[in-house]
Amino acid sequence: MTSGVLLFCFNTEFYRYDKIAAKTVPLIKKNLNLPITIVTNTETFKCLPQLGTIDYKIIDNETGNHINKKPWHNLDRWKAYEISPYDVTVLMDIDYFCFTDQLLTYIDAEEDLQIHDKVYDITGKNSYDFRNNSIIPMLWATVIIFRKSPKSKSVFDMVQYIKKHYQHFCSLYRIDFRNFRNDYAFSIAMHQMAGLVPTKKLPARLITLPALARVTRVASNGIEWQLEGKFGAIQHSDVHVIDKGVAHV
Amino acid sequence: MEIDELKKQSDRSYETALAKQNALEKARSRMVFAYDGHLFLANAETINLVKTMSDRDTFVLLDTNDNPALIDDPTAFLSKLIERNQEVLNSYHQLYVELQKLR
Repeated sequence: MTSGVLLFCFNTEFYRYDKIAAKTVPLIKKNLNLPITIVTNTETFKCLPQLGTIDYKIIDNETGNHINKKPWHNLDRWKAYEISPYDVTVLMDIDYFCFTDQLLTYIDAEEDLQIHDKVYDITGKNSYDFRNNSIIPMLWATVIIFRKSPKSKSVFDMVQYIKKHYQHFCSLYRIDFRNFRNDYAFSIAMHQMAGLVPTKKLPARLITLPALARVTRVASNGIEWQLEGKFGAIQHSDVHVIDKGVAHV
Repeated sequence: MEIDELKKQSDRSYETALAKQNALEKARSRMVFAYDGHLFLANAETINLVKTMSDRDTFVLLDTNDNPALIDDPTAFLSKLIERNQEVLNSYHQLYVELQKLR
């Protein structure tokens, strides 16, 4: 049985995701020691530095989505099931910093699809409370571990369908955010495919550094940040870094 | 004590509390481990339950997804649970000692 990491990486006119990949990919190699496939477009591929043995899948990514009035190339994530060459795939955001081998634990679990439903803000600000922004509990599509199985495929197929009719599903689930978000697309898809009943998700919370925190240093074992004049740091813990300025640290 | 010093003390307390909170979260995350295709938490509750059942040859335990798992080697399973639990808590303890020095 093969396992590996699948990353999607598309630069925009505002953000250099290739530079973020230059920081996160070596961490994945060091701490997970799994094969990596990067899904990217021609323009971004030309910017990516030498990252060692990596498989690349070049696609024409779909455009048109925005966040905070800036382009947001997140419309192709549903293709992960078909693109992934692995039996077990760790699909993760390019801004997820693996400072541990914790994700290997989840690979060993014989579950079709694993995803976080809880988040932890390491700044102590408890920034993420979306309970009133929809009538469905939000999942975090930052890290998804899936096995090639009919059940997993049905979720990704459902995400594709939801993407196509996203405004309808936003209305149905009273989602406040009208731009396409994979978090909600997977939340809805998993809710629908589970028979509209609650199911258990990953037991740990997604450790996250929110956007307001500015990353000041990325070390081999952790990160440091600044927020409202205060400095913080965390070592030996995986972290989802929202601040895209991390590309230039 | 002057107000500036009180403010500094308050900031230090906040930073210590946050560091402790983050270390605890990290520890809880590291307590998740896989055994025979199931996820378990290597916490006191699981260890106590497994210890209680360990005089049996086999027993069934619920994993973190509430799926039943057949534990056919309770001794080995208990050993792994304790090993992970103590590895995680030792790391937390080391940080806690450092934080105590900063008070």
